[in-house]
Amino acid sequence: MIINMKNATKWRYFTSAVSITLMLVSILLVATKGLNWGLDFTGGVVSEVQLSSKITSSEIEPLLKAGLHQDVAVIASGEPGRWVLRYAIPEAGQELPSITDMLAPISTDITVLNTSIVGPQVGQELADQGGLALLVCMLCILGYLSYRFEWRLASGSLFALLHDVVFVLGFFALTQMEFNLTVLAAVLAILGYSLNDSIIIADRIRELLIAKPKWSIQKINNEAIAATFSRTMVTSGTTLMTVGALWLLGGGPLEGFAIAMFIGIITGTWSSISVGTTLPELFGLKPEHYLPKVVSEEP
Amino acid sequence: MYGDLRMKKQIKQKQIFNHYSAWKYIVLVVTVLVMLLSAIPTWYGEDAAVQISAKNSPAPSALAIQRQLEASGITVKRIDQQADKTVIVLENDNQQTQAKTVLSNVVKDKSTLTLALEPAAPLWLQNMGFEPIKLGLDLRGGVQFLLDVDIDQVYKAQGASLADELRQLFRKDGIRGARVEQSDADHLIVKVNNSAANSAVRKFVKTQYPQWQATNGDGNSVLLAMKDAEKTELRNLTVQQNLQTMRSRIEELGITEALVQRQGENRIRIELPGVQDPAAAKNVIGATASLAFYAVKEQGTGSTMELKDKQGQPVRVGRNPILGGDHIVDARASFGEMGMAEVNITLDSSGGKIMSDFSRDNVGKPMATSYSEYGRDSEGKTTQTNEIISVATIQSQLGMRFRITGTGSMDEAQQLALLLRAGSLTAPVTIVEERTIGPTLGAENIENGFAALGLGLGVTLLFMAVWYRRLGWVANVALIANMIMLFGLLALIPGAVLTLPGIAGLVLTVGMAVDTNVLIFERIKDKLKEGRSMAQAIDRGFSSAIGTIFDANFTTMITAVVLYAIGNGPIQGFALTLGLGLLTSMFTGIFASRAIINLVWGRDSRRNIRV
Repeated sequence: MIINMKNATKWRYFTSAVSITLMLVSILLVATKGLNWGLDFTGGVVSEVQLSSKITSSEIEPLLKAGLHQDVAVIASGEPGRWVLRYAIPEAGQELPSITDMLAPISTDITVLNTSIVGPQVGQELADQGGLALLVCMLCILGYLSYRFEWRLASGSLFALLHDVVFVLGFFALTQMEFNLTVLAAVLAILGYSLNDSIIIADRIRELLIAKPKWSIQKINNEAIAATFSRTMVTSGTTLMTVGALWLLGGGPLEGFAIAMFIGIITGTWSSISVGTTLPELFGLKPEHYLPKVVSEEP
Repeated sequence: MYGDLRMKKQIKQKQIFNHYSAWKYIVLVVTVLVMLLSAIPTWYGEDAAVQISAKNSPAPSALAIQRQLEASGITVKRIDQQADKTVIVLENDNQQTQAKTVLSNVVKDKSTLTLALEPAAPLWLQNMGFEPIKLGLDLRGGVQFLLDVDIDQVYKAQGASLADELRQLFRKDGIRGARVEQSDADHLIVKVNNSAANSAVRKFVKTQYPQWQATNGDGNSVLLAMKDAEKTELRNLTVQQNLQTMRSRIEELGITEALVQRQGENRIRIELPGVQDPAAAKNVIGATASLAFYAVKEQGTGSTMELKDKQGQPVRVGRNPILGGDHIVDARASFGEMGMAEVNITLDSSGGKIMSDFSRDNVGKPMATSYSEYGRDSEGKTTQTNEIISVATIQSQLGMRFRITGTGSMDEAQQLALLLRAGSLTAPVTIVEERTIGPTLGAENIENGFAALGLGLGVTLLFMAVWYRRLGWVANVALIANMIMLFGLLALIPGAVLTLPGIAGLVLTVGMAVDTNVLIFERIKDKLKEGRSMAQAIDRGFSSAIGTIFDANFTTMITAVVLYAIGNGPIQGFALTLGLGLLTSMFTGIFASRAIINLVWGRDSRRNIRV
């Protein structure tokens, strides 16, 4: 089971297969379960309230249902006695009844910590903006990669990137955790981070392709991964540690962000080593692609 | 001679190797020091304060204020009294509202009192111009509104006015069987029977309404569409108008640090830090403004009333206005024939008729314009404020379009046009987004965010020191310098706001910033393994890593820039700290750590050492 230079290629193929399987599962999850879109994208009302810790959600729910004439999602927040209430904006013309009034029968000591009301139109716009940001990011990165690397080498990094994003989305679909603007920001940050890892390995591959044109592409890839491995582990390690600290102490509002980043960094590291290097091999990357071209003197 | 020359060359080469000249160290030290000074006020934070502006009456003396507050059990940190304002800084943030209530009994005019935040840093730092980082609403608590300005209503009013004019034209020219329909907010269909009428309509629009585009429709009908340039102009004017109105209204709420900003094409974002009750703010925002023209009268000439102008001088006007502001279709400032600033006003046709009748009989007499605003006070009662904004003399009989000259400078003309439009470009404003963040939650967010930052930073520092030992300490110094610079820059850059996702960006930066050092150290290790001396390995290590560092940071920079350009408030905060973090980490990771390494190991020619 020990990985050495002789069986490293096999290991890379094996991990790539695992990656692709996981990616397919993720796509399936997103397609079947869908994402639990947050308030930012759907519009509606979200309030966070602080009540006595003895009160349960089964006491809160019927009161709010009666007051608002609609289903209300009552979700426990990080601390005991803290609840997140989520419901749709009442029809035009109807006043929004105050939460303190509605909950008055069970408790008079109610603190409304925060309230967000997002109109459906704004939600749609934010969703469009988010999609646009993702698209523009991808295009810019694609442009940069094609300028910086030969297409076969770039394809690996790009595939690794898609892999990471799809995996994070798959995770959010599986757990049905809320997908809000902050999580979207995390997904975009993962784009940058994943590429960061892939590029560092790709840089090494390019160096080796030029320095050792006689080597087989498999050997070059293995050498490049080995040479950058301790860097990959140290950087991923420190970033994971800080993101872990954020997960641990950052509190509710940053939980989704921290979890998305945490998974993104792990898959980012994994994919840059596995599919990121295997795909260029399959596309037939050769040292010739990086040999200096003989410029013809004739016009 | 030849030998000497060669020796000199060798010495020169040796000097270049792993050597930074003195000025580079000076730049480095000065940069870090300035950033440190800029970062320190954030450490102290801000104190709650109450501000008394001396509008009409002078503020009570500092001693009197202090006595009054102490009597109510409020501890005062300091009172700064200047000619135009008095700032009372409180010891305890929770007593801010209480202090305002106490002070409202002391001052004559309650509207001079505003809640404020004052930097708590030592004065010498403040005097150098350094301020704390501005915190986003999610960190300090408050209310945020996003307003949607319905521009279609403005287009509709413009279209209706043109339709009126066309109908008048048909009557005047005896064109029969013509009909004008408003098919859309910015589209009109003119149905006429013959080509003569068709060309008459087209000619009229071309000469009188060049901002409309006329094209031929079915049969002899003419399609009129507002030109895009005009639509953009109208949209800008309307939003600008609403911004102005909102700003002046929020000023009355007594919040010094309120933010009123245009967002996108027709949105207005309002942030009210410290406000906990969105209902009161909503009443103020939802107030409606109106405008009216009055005849200026002498006392005792029939039914008159007195209105105050901006300077508080009374102006006597007729009790009934000549014309209400709802007849104004447009008002714009421009330079007249003599190069003097003037305001051009367009009325709708019925307004034009009233104005024409009135002005015919009153040439040479003054006419006043008043601006009134209906709002709701804290008890939900409707209140009205009324003010004369201009008095002008009628020079000749006025029609649907007339101009007010003698308005002073172009700036003043623009101000007047803006106010006139308040009664005209009344686009309905609706609140499409509202977020309230309680002060406890804001404080909690700061606490959590910085706890995570502290833990992340601590663990990273420890790890680097253990893993890379001596070189790790260099990375740690660079990382701390990086944090100092990042905080310093956030405080320095105007408009930079720290939000909760922004703190997440800082935490992420800590983890990613060491990457620059890690890349370099790994290269140095490689070179040492190849059997080079320490000094050589450092030189080669740095130069071979720089390309990779740039590549790796560039992609994250792309996402940061895109997020900043497309994202909204909190997300922009994340993009800002992420992007700035990349820049500062390159500076400290490459430049600062090289400077330290050069000093310590720059001349180290030992081989086979472990780092």
